[in-house]
Amino acid sequence: MSQLAGQLGIDWRLLLSQAVNFFLLLLVLRIFVYKPLLKLLRDRREKIENGLMKAEEAGRRLEAAEEEHRRRLKDAEAAAVGILRKAETDAKGLEERLVAAARKKEADELAKIGAALRAKEEESRRAVEAEAVAFVKSVVAKTVELSPESVDDALVARAVKELKQAAS
Amino acid sequence: MQPISIRAEVIFRIGGFPVTNATLLGFITFVLLASVALALRKRLALVPGRIQNAAEIVAEGSLDLMQSVLGTRRQAEKYFPLIFTVFLFVVSANWLGLLPGVSSVVIRAPDGAVVPLLRSPASDLNFTFALALIVVTFANAFGVAATGLGARLRFFFNLKGPIDFFVGILELISEFAKIISFAFRLFGNIFAGEVLLAIMAFLMPYLAPLPFMLLEVFVGFIQAFIFGMLTLVFVSMAISHGDDSDGHGREKVGQISHA
Repeated sequence: MSQLAGQLGIDWRLLLSQAVNFFLLLLVLRIFVYKPLLKLLRDRREKIENGLMKAEEAGRRLEAAEEEHRRRLKDAEAAAVGILRKAETDAKGLEERLVAAARKKEADELAKIGAALRAKEEESRRAVEAEAVAFVKSVVAKTVELSPESVDDALVARAVKELKQAAS
Repeated sequence: MQPISIRAEVIFRIGGFPVTNATLLGFITFVLLASVALALRKRLALVPGRIQNAAEIVAEGSLDLMQSVLGTRRQAEKYFPLIFTVFLFVVSANWLGLLPGVSSVVIRAPDGAVVPLLRSPASDLNFTFALALIVVTFANAFGVAATGLGARLRFFFNLKGPIDFFVGILELISEFAKIISFAFRLFGNIFAGEVLLAIMAFLMPYLAPLPFMLLEVFVGFIQAFIFGMLTLVFVSMAISHGDDSDGHGREKVGQISHA
């Protein structure tokens, strides 16, 4: 066996030196290349995965924000329509109240004016009546003072003349 | 023409330690790869440059291939250093062995013979045996780490029945056979290539060796790839042999070995 190994050039010292050579290379490559390179690849893979996840998350958030924006806009539009309707209703109510108050005031004023006119009219009527009474009294007095025959025509003419004057 | 020798030639001695031309080129390969590693370490950044990009493409491709065999990315990253170093060391050594000057630059050895200064490491059985021993030892160590010593021993010494026991013994023998097949496959291919190139260069020194050189570049890569893939499959079988009752692992080894 050892003769065969010798003929093939197998020498345990050379074999060991090649093995040591390989182990040294494995050690150097492991420390200076494999570890940092694999770590770098892992880090990059993680960063890419995180980036993709964040991008997806951002997309989802953007979509949610847009949905929220649309919802709020819709709510705001509904609220605005509600406010407008309420304002319209309030304005109508106010208008009705104002109109009613104005009408009431108008009616009150008309009633006051009517009462004042009626009072004036009553006062005028009373004054006319008083004057008529006084006139009649004076006519009667004058009539009583004259003889009926001489007085009749002149009396009637005078009474008519005074009545016309009083009427004008 | 230089005499063809299966044995790597001793070119000098350090104390009593013989240094062969294959050992020297193996050491040069180590120095070159270590230098590249150190240079690459300084340039590593999250945003890669050209060199880092190339390294990442190779690493990612290898990891994907390993993941397809081992099952998970975590497992692939765990066993990546050993498997990729085996591939890288073998392919670098094979290609460095094809450079002009290797085998043609000669020196006078301590015993007075004129020998090449450099020789492809894989054309020396010490190199291939060393790698084969390391790979098989590591595969078994990974198997013990993954399934436990008891399970690993039961895999080889199965007492469930006579057939299982016999299969277990065959598995144990196959572990040693793996070392031999590993070592001789790589040695045979690379040594044969060197011999072919030497003969072609002797017969027709100009242009004629060129296609054979290209062929050897391809063979050098393929043999390194096979070495790496077999390492991967052996590790895969070792860490999951409990689930390998259908013999899929053996089929994988058979397919790669035929290559």
